[in-house]
Amino acid sequence: MKISFDDPGFIKKLKYLLYISIVIFILMGFFVDFHPHFGWEEVPAFFAIYGFLICVLIIFGAKAIGRLIQRREDYYD
Amino acid sequence: MIEPVHPAFIFIIGVLLLPLLKIKRLKQIYLLLLPLLALIDLYSMPYGTYWTYQLMDYTLTLGRVDSLSMVFGYVFVIIAFCAMLYALHVKENGQHLSAYLYVGSALGVVFAGDLITLYIFWEIMAVASAVIIFYQRTDKAIGAGMRYILVHATGGILLLGGIIMYMNATGSYVFDHLDYGVPGTLLILLGFIINAAVPPLHAWLPDAYPEATITGAVFLTAFTTKSAVYVLIRGFSGLEILMWLGAIMAVYGVIYAFLENDIRRVLAYCIVSQVGYMVAGVGIGTDLAINGTAAHAFCHILYKALLFMGAGAVIYTTGKKNLTELGGLYKTMPLTLILFMFGVFSVSGFPLFNGFVSKSIIITAAGGMHNSIVYAMLIGAGVGTFLYVGLRLPYFMFFGKDAGLKAKEPPLNMLMGMGLVAFLCLLIGVYPQILYNILPHSPVDYVPYTASHVIEEMQLLLLAAFAFFMFLAHVKKAETITLDTDWFYRKGGRAFMWFITNPLAKGSEMALAPFLSMKDFLIWFSKNPKRAFFLGLDLLEYNLLGKIHGLPPEESLELLNREKSTYPGKPVHRDPVGDAVIVSLIFLFIYTIYYLL
Repeated sequence: MKISFDDPGFIKKLKYLLYISIVIFILMGFFVDFHPHFGWEEVPAFFAIYGFLICVLIIFGAKAIGRLIQRREDYYD
Repeated sequence: MIEPVHPAFIFIIGVLLLPLLKIKRLKQIYLLLLPLLALIDLYSMPYGTYWTYQLMDYTLTLGRVDSLSMVFGYVFVIIAFCAMLYALHVKENGQHLSAYLYVGSALGVVFAGDLITLYIFWEIMAVASAVIIFYQRTDKAIGAGMRYILVHATGGILLLGGIIMYMNATGSYVFDHLDYGVPGTLLILLGFIINAAVPPLHAWLPDAYPEATITGAVFLTAFTTKSAVYVLIRGFSGLEILMWLGAIMAVYGVIYAFLENDIRRVLAYCIVSQVGYMVAGVGIGTDLAINGTAAHAFCHILYKALLFMGAGAVIYTTGKKNLTELGGLYKTMPLTLILFMFGVFSVSGFPLFNGFVSKSIIITAAGGMHNSIVYAMLIGAGVGTFLYVGLRLPYFMFFGKDAGLKAKEPPLNMLMGMGLVAFLCLLIGVYPQILYNILPHSPVDYVPYTASHVIEEMQLLLLAAFAFFMFLAHVKKAETITLDTDWFYRKGGRAFMWFITNPLAKGSEMALAPFLSMKDFLIWFSKNPKRAFFLGLDLLEYNLLGKIHGLPPEESLELLNREKSTYPGKPVHRDPVGDAVIVSLIFLFIYTIYYLL
């Protein structure tokens, strides 16, 4: 297997790996009992969903905030 | 059994002897030997209180050894060894001197049994770390170093004020749990918080750490903030506001880290974020939380140093420090990449690495408090951490668009330093008991490798990766800086200086001007008083009568101007006796008048 990140075939394989592992872990969540601290933890795929949502929030939230507080690099000089 | 020495002195006094060694190899061996000696020293130190000295009226306790201080002691010495291995190629003695002075004083803080000793070592730490920053010698470094000193000096004064007030109020200066309500404790807390980089007092960290030397920055990451965490645990554990501050801090660091361009500044905000976990843990205060805080501090020192080492290695070999200028390095620096990824996986909390076994303790403790907001914030910050350190940073550094940089692997000592730390990260991740056994509240009531924990963590991380690649177009890098709370004192400082040099200066000049002109006149007059006198008379005559006697107006003006310009003319023949006579006559005259009145 050629490990070159420029090769689109390799990237595709990596993506499949990612998707499959996501599915595996979500499925595993159904078979294990958590000891939930809070009510909303009981949904089995909770952490997957939460992780995704938080990312979206951070990516776009940071961009929005960035628009307010980002300046050119020589701002202080 | 040798009588143990305070480990701080092994470093401080040991490094002072460094200039005596001239041969490079000998110096390097000596520098690496010191932390090893300190490690042996730590092993031989039993729990208890010792090394007490009398200083004037006060009894200083330099050694208070218990499980909490030992945890920090061990990790400080271990990282000192690794960081020195990384820095072995540095030829300048001064840099090693300031580094070990810094390490030694941090050890002094950790083992201090009373507030006075704490303060002394605290200030030594501030000075030594500032010197480390100055050694980079760029304009930016010097500026950042100056701001660093100002912030830390202020923090030191707050701390001192607080200590004095506390001593006045309670009469004791023993350093144990400080009840928050007692006068002075607020100031002490502020002093601690500044060093722990809690927003809004945190801006010195992302300002200064990226400007320090490549090797110096590795030292910096470990000691100031972690010793602040230690003193917070010792003095203020269970203080609820710390829980909230910590959670906010964790999220704050994530947001800023995501926007930054300089790779070490991203990592600096990551420090703020991770220390937020520790501060939150202190705030929660339960045995489990304190264990988690200490464990996380231990692990964080290791992986954060590794991340800074990796970033430093990239800067060292490519000369570039911004994400906008990097990319495609996985082909030329594969070893650095792999070791860097060890750090990345650790900070993100991937199972098998040390972050997973430490950060999750704090999160579980937060869950135990049944406070869902803090719990959610900490988990969210963890996801965010993976996003920017685990995904964005390596992606734009090593992958992404190839920047075509000519790079190679860094020198062997740097790789070895990184390798050693990476090994420790993995070791603790796989055998967490090694760490758990030295935590303050043994045995630790937490099992990291349960199915539920692993599955939860993997779900979070994998979905974060998914989101990252889905929105890759939106996470682009930009050549900007982000304004932080230091805006207030940087702009404010400039405004203050402008005020002083413009309005204030002009005002004081105006007030002074009359006196100066009077002085000038007197000097001018004294050059030739006789002529000056007659000149004055002519001037008066011209102004009153329009002309000087005997001459038409225009010619009078000419005469006047000529007199003015030829003044003082031939200097009056100095006749000291005559002068003295005149002066005394004038004096007598004035006195007579006065007498007669």
